[in-house]
Amino acid sequence: MIQSFSYVKAGSLDEAIEHLRAEGARIHAGGTDLLGCLRDDVFEVDRVVSIAGLEPLKGVREVADGTLKIGALTPLAAVAADARVRARYPALAQAAEAVGTPQLRNQGTLGGNVCQKPRCWYYRGPFPCRRKGGERCYAVSGNNEGHAIFGGAGCHIVHPSDTAPVLSALGATAVVAGPGGIRSVPLDDFFVPPRLDPTRETVLEAGEVVSELVLPPPGEGLRSSYRKVRGRRAWDFALAGVALALRVDSSGVVQEAGVVFSGVAPVPWRSRPVERVLTGERLTEDVVRLAGEVAVESAQPLRHNQYKVPLLRGIVERELAALA
Amino acid sequence: MPASNPDDPRGARGVSRRGFLSSMGVGAVSVALPAPLTAGPLAGADLIEAGDLTPVALNVNERVYRVLVEPRWSLLYTLREELGLTAAKEGCGRGECGACTVLMDGVPRYSCLTLATEAEGSSVTTLEGIMEGEELGPTQQAFAEEDAFQCGYCTPGQIVAAEGLLRVNPHPSPEEIRAGMSGNLCRCGAYAHIFRAVERAAAVGAGRGGAS
Amino acid sequence: MSADKEVRYWLEGTELLETPQPDQDLEPWTETRVVGQRRPRVDAYERVSGTARYPSDVVLPGMLYGAILRCPHSHARVRSVDISAATGMPGVHAVLSGFSEPDRALRAHRSLLREQLFNPVCRHEGEVVAAAAADTPYRARDALRAIRVDYEELEFVSDERDALEPGAPPVHEGGNRVGDPQVYERGDLARGFEEADVVLEEEYRTECQLHTPLEPHGCVAEWEGDRLTLWESTQGVYPVRQQVAQALGMRQSRVRVLGEYMGGGFGSKLGAGKYTILAALLAKVTARPVKLFLTREETFLAVGNRPPANMRLRAGAKRDGTLTALEFVATATGGAYPAGGTSALDYLVRNLYLCPNVRTETADLYINAGPARAMRAPGHPQCSWALEQMVDALAEAVGMDPVEFRLRNVPEVSQAGRGRPYTTTGLAECLGRGAEAFGWAEARARAEEGTADPTVRRGVGMAGGMWAAGGGGPPSTVIIKLFSDGAVSLNMGASDIGTGTKTVMAMVAAEELWVDPGEIQIEHADTATTHFASASGGSKTVPTESPAVRAAAVLVKQQLLEMAARQLDVDAATLDLREGRVVSTSGPPREVAVSELTELRRRGFVEGIGFRGPNPRDKEVHPFVAQFCEVEVDLSTGEVEILRFLGAHDSGRVLNRTTYDNQVFGGMTMGIGFGSTEKRVLDRGQSGLLLSRGWHDYRIPTAMDVPANMSTVPVDPGDAEANTTGAKGIGEPATIPTAAAVANAVYHATGVRITETPITPARLVEALAGRERGV
Repeated sequence: MIQSFSYVKAGSLDEAIEHLRAEGARIHAGGTDLLGCLRDDVFEVDRVVSIAGLEPLKGVREVADGTLKIGALTPLAAVAADARVRARYPALAQAAEAVGTPQLRNQGTLGGNVCQKPRCWYYRGPFPCRRKGGERCYAVSGNNEGHAIFGGAGCHIVHPSDTAPVLSALGATAVVAGPGGIRSVPLDDFFVPPRLDPTRETVLEAGEVVSELVLPPPGEGLRSSYRKVRGRRAWDFALAGVALALRVDSSGVVQEAGVVFSGVAPVPWRSRPVERVLTGERLTEDVVRLAGEVAVESAQPLRHNQYKVPLLRGIVERELAALA
Repeated sequence: MPASNPDDPRGARGVSRRGFLSSMGVGAVSVALPAPLTAGPLAGADLIEAGDLTPVALNVNERVYRVLVEPRWSLLYTLREELGLTAAKEGCGRGECGACTVLMDGVPRYSCLTLATEAEGSSVTTLEGIMEGEELGPTQQAFAEEDAFQCGYCTPGQIVAAEGLLRVNPHPSPEEIRAGMSGNLCRCGAYAHIFRAVERAAAVGAGRGGAS
Repeated sequence: MSADKEVRYWLEGTELLETPQPDQDLEPWTETRVVGQRRPRVDAYERVSGTARYPSDVVLPGMLYGAILRCPHSHARVRSVDISAATGMPGVHAVLSGFSEPDRALRAHRSLLREQLFNPVCRHEGEVVAAAAADTPYRARDALRAIRVDYEELEFVSDERDALEPGAPPVHEGGNRVGDPQVYERGDLARGFEEADVVLEEEYRTECQLHTPLEPHGCVAEWEGDRLTLWESTQGVYPVRQQVAQALGMRQSRVRVLGEYMGGGFGSKLGAGKYTILAALLAKVTARPVKLFLTREETFLAVGNRPPANMRLRAGAKRDGTLTALEFVATATGGAYPAGGTSALDYLVRNLYLCPNVRTETADLYINAGPARAMRAPGHPQCSWALEQMVDALAEAVGMDPVEFRLRNVPEVSQAGRGRPYTTTGLAECLGRGAEAFGWAEARARAEEGTADPTVRRGVGMAGGMWAAGGGGPPSTVIIKLFSDGAVSLNMGASDIGTGTKTVMAMVAAEELWVDPGEIQIEHADTATTHFASASGGSKTVPTESPAVRAAAVLVKQQLLEMAARQLDVDAATLDLREGRVVSTSGPPREVAVSELTELRRRGFVEGIGFRGPNPRDKEVHPFVAQFCEVEVDLSTGEVEILRFLGAHDSGRVLNRTTYDNQVFGGMTMGIGFGSTEKRVLDRGQSGLLLSRGWHDYRIPTAMDVPANMSTVPVDPGDAEANTTGAKGIGEPATIPTAAAVANAVYHATGVRITETPITPARLVEALAGRERGV
């Protein structure tokens, strides 16, 4: 049973921004993550600012050059069902479909999925951990079977989103509206790694709202996919996953590669080593095997999550082979 | 124990305070609460203070209920404890089991993760709402015939989820049924029978012609 | 204490009422019209329409909501509790703790409050510290947040593998052993191993499993003067009544417990909880009805679990597949209090397969964690995980098919039961007919051919099993009334916990009385209006209640026949019931409708009171099982897809094939969770606190985790000796061998043995990688 909060239904984005500047204000889009966090006393909230009714932030639009703009409040189910998304960016449809359950996809939004809070059991549980402003990361000496093998500096959460790695791999941009106006943030720059600040997940400042996610035109030869492995076959976050966006020319040579992992790092984890291995190569068995090897080369598993090394490698190899 | 008198669903929006108070006579539910009423109906960017009760008009099963809610009250709590619509169940209170599944504008979602205030302006359908009077709807009938439950506690959520699935996909494949039902836990483990029930419901055309 | 005794949830060895018409008078059914058919439930309408009222659905005028403050530490002493800020909050009606002077209404319960409900020594996270009642559950929680508790944190041990380490903090004075280890021995173990051609040894572990019924534990309590009514989500209204009356110092007759519908229990709702007593006390002190249902994480912390088990099994067999020796050493924990941590943990080793030389040693330990409660076949799935994997390994070592190996070792008598014979044992048939129906040999050969995708492998696996109880037993009293219009009502105290009890009992009555089962009015699970029954659990409800139902129905029938005999002036022995009429079965054709029986119309009704008779002396009644499954394993990710499952069960006579199938599928589903996805995680070595606090981190199977292809093969040897309906239990045996069958299938697919539950992709992919590296 959640604590008391004041509540406002924003009638416009400007109103929402105004209310969100208040101390202790939190945004309510689909509400699935916010209410779960409040239910578990993860953080306190003074004011819930609901933007769920802001129609202009819903839906998928295509602009002249083929750019696809997805309103941040578009439900994940609508993202997964959109014919343009399915045809041009199958990875995004797959990722949206891999989230939670039908109910959560009807309710949860694309913007919310990108901005959601981590699922680390110390963070969600009654532990004053570093991400909550406390002194330490309990995962270091505790049970870290679900935690990061990359980029865990002082906090070892994994980023829970399925869509964010895909958006990152596809070179998407978040449009952010705030008190100072509107800015565009490439997804690659949107997430804050714990080495910079373990108490925040995104670069959003007080009063800022993601209004739109912008996908560049797919161009020729784009092949994309998203695959995650989870502890049960539905309704679960990634133990490890990979988003692939490869531009492959007519002779089968990879011209450009976007490779971003889920479930293994505090932010969607772009793997430059795998991208380098793939670029300029055909997806032969040898290349795929080498990509699998370099994918985990710099992994730093903790005591209980060593399985993530072979698992990630296995997923990378399997998905690359499937795209070949 | 309905909270107040149902009336025309068209009255869902723009409830005036006067209109609300005039219906309080039969509203045994909320009047006992001592917190102050907010000044006006919920609209625009009016801030509702923490702990205050605010009137909302909820369109549930094609009837409008006017109730006083705290901002933090879930739709599930409001349905069950304030409106007396107890078919939707609480299993976890945080979107981890699906027993609270209702349709909002025809689409299944978790009423425990939905604030009552957020449901205003939508049409909410609970298991009670897919009955045809006292007769079972076709999806319910299929669940009964296939013995698609044991203790029955998750069943209202399962049936509403199935109804929602069939409304968008009247002829689901077996894999689509499994995926479509994956947001509702059944600890008794009646899944195998639930799959058959959804198949049977699809075969008799459940979901088609459903409201909203 | 024998394993048998430990797992019996009901009274044994006490003189109880026995059927006044000794049940041996009832011949086994030969042909049946209703019993054994497929039939939807008599309460299906209520359950699919939302009109079934569960205890948590109860809303009473003026009702308040209770909530419980629980200890947030693994081990602590409460120094003080300050409720002053909480009591004055808006909407808060009462706050209770062990550190405040009880209100006058509760003075009589001072020691109950201080020493029991709010005992200041908290031995696990989730112990009860205070409670509040308010006009909404939100405000009740607000009140809890305002309570200030001063805890002295104490050292703790949160894992039984650490509990006996030197320096491990004692959970209780006297250390962390719950009594001495239990030892069982028969034959000559050393000689058994000497005789063996193959000796294997392995360590196994099963993780702690949580019941997690969908309806949380709780109740609504209401007082009328000195009478208390409780709507409780329970498997047994009578045990709840008895415990509540005892705790509150009341006469049992002053406590009424109702539990017509309940949202699952699996052993965790066999009696009352502290929440029941607190709801009653909060209702008393506020003079209002109080609804108190636990949150999901409270149920994870405080109302039971299947204990984790650490098992070492050494086994010997001859080349021809004869088992010669079994040695089983195990530790387990029932948590912070004596709660049967090792209950029946060795039962299958002792009794499932023929083996002359057996030694078992089980040690129950304390840790600072929530206590265990009986969970669906206590001990058995854990033991099966070890034994059935070991038996497969032995079969492979001697070059035999796993089914054939087991068939070689089927006992005819209960070895653990002092050599007493079984009333029936269908184990061999379960193995044989199950394998045949599954297409075992073909599927095994097919799996070994591989799949088109070299990274995907198929495998088949199976496991056998039996259940230490499952024969039921007295007491049970059932009253059937037949009214002048032919209408029938059935009154029994037993709960229908979702297994179909009401439907099955209606079918048994209908079999004798020639009425439509759906027409029978059933009153049950209400201590004020229905008859005494033990809790529904342990696969004993059908074999306990159905003979009493049959006896009651037969008594009604006999009275009808005698009335008709007098009316028609014929011998009652020549008459029988047919579809609402009494007809002659020999001699000149005579008949009269039941509703036309003059005597019945004059009297208004007849009734029959059926009592459950005793079980056969000198014989053992047990259900048996063999389950088979086929899996597909992705070697690159460790993902296991279970493609199909088949259960061949000897549970005696099947009374309703529909609910029987449902029970088997449900047991398999829970077993799949046990073997594949479920694990309670405590913060071992750090805070000791629960980490898997919800269904995201404690993963029970979803619709995607179980195969649609599940099937049953009922093996019904006709157990006429067990009881007068010939039925044995099905709920427990259905979940016993499932996890082990999956493990055996995964081994068949991959060559990797996973000896610790659950077989997650994480565990399997790591094991596969380890094999590649040669470790």
